[in-house]
Amino acid sequence: MSRTSAWKQWPGWLALFLVVGGLLVFGTVKDSGPLTPEERVEEITKRIACPVCDGETVYESANPSSVAIRAEVKAQVAQGQNSDDEIVAFIVQQFGAQTQLVPNATGFDSLVWILPAMALVCAAVGLFFAFRKWKHNVDAVPDDDDRARVAEAMAAEDDAEQRVELAEDGAADSGEDGDES
Amino acid sequence: MSESQVDVGDDAPATSRRVAPFVVLGVLVVIVALVVVLAGSSSGPKDEVGLVESPLLGRAAPTVRSTTLDGAPFDLARRKGSWVVVNFFNSTCAPCRAEHPALVEFVEQQRSFGADGAELYTMLQINDDIDRVKSFFLTRGGDWPIVRDDEGTANVDFGVALVPETFIINPDGVVVVRWAGQIDAETLSRLVQQQRDLYGLS
Repeated sequence: MSRTSAWKQWPGWLALFLVVGGLLVFGTVKDSGPLTPEERVEEITKRIACPVCDGETVYESANPSSVAIRAEVKAQVAQGQNSDDEIVAFIVQQFGAQTQLVPNATGFDSLVWILPAMALVCAAVGLFFAFRKWKHNVDAVPDDDDRARVAEAMAAEDDAEQRVELAEDGAADSGEDGDES
Repeated sequence: MSESQVDVGDDAPATSRRVAPFVVLGVLVVIVALVVVLAGSSSGPKDEVGLVESPLLGRAAPTVRSTTLDGAPFDLARRKGSWVVVNFFNSTCAPCRAEHPALVEFVEQQRSFGADGAELYTMLQINDDIDRVKSFFLTRGGDWPIVRDDEGTANVDFGVALVPETFIINPDGVVVVRWAGQIDAETLSRLVQQQRDLYGLS
């Protein structure tokens, strides 16, 4: 029964998968239209770490080297010859790899992008199997032993309840006696 | 009854017990790998003092066209034929100010070589206060050309993140030495002489 109900649910899961997958794809490849030069400079300088200070991008740093990099990026954007990636690559070549904030999506660096996605997929698959296992345990049909155990437990509970009731009655009686005296 | 209880109850924990060591091992391996990678990574050029790597070494010096503080045009490419030392400087930087007497001494030494002596140029940073630079050189001495970098191009092209930095450029216009941090006159003279000797051999 559980198997058929699980199969009945699959259109819902498929729809969920399609919506989530579609939104993820849309989010990563969406094109927000052509950028103004100022927006390009902002976007590029936010991808470069200040070579001297800790935890600051070139976009927000007031260090002279960051100011110089901002001016250089602005000049290169104004020239319009290099792409954003090429400008970032030029700055990284001049100031070292530690200035690159967004890792490359190619070569060995691409592991940074691939590994978390793989971990997510592995975790999802693991959870799927774990949930399925738990469900199977719930669906197990009780055998005679189980029934006997339940009957025994219920009998014990009844006994306990009776004992509690008796005790309460006794206490009430003694209480009433006490009030009277 | 009790037997079946044990069988059913022990099945899942037994699997977990088998898997748990591998999960713990996996997590440990990841943590140790992270510690090793982070401990081994350099925190950038800011800690380094002395001879440092540069993609410019062995390559033609970047184009620098600007003006000096006196308003004279400056073109680094036109200095070909001479040994050139470019010192990146900022008037607010303490090591730069501390380094200054060494540069004065170095220039005097090189002048004793006549035309063969190296030429020193101070390269400013983009947002330095020009008046403060002028008053610094007036009071502390130093009559070599001070080159403005109002666009920041020279600093970026030389990859200068933290001043002071000193570059030695040979008569072919090739960058041969990059020194990060403060330098003393003796070291700078020795580096220039070493490069002269190497250049003479080639």
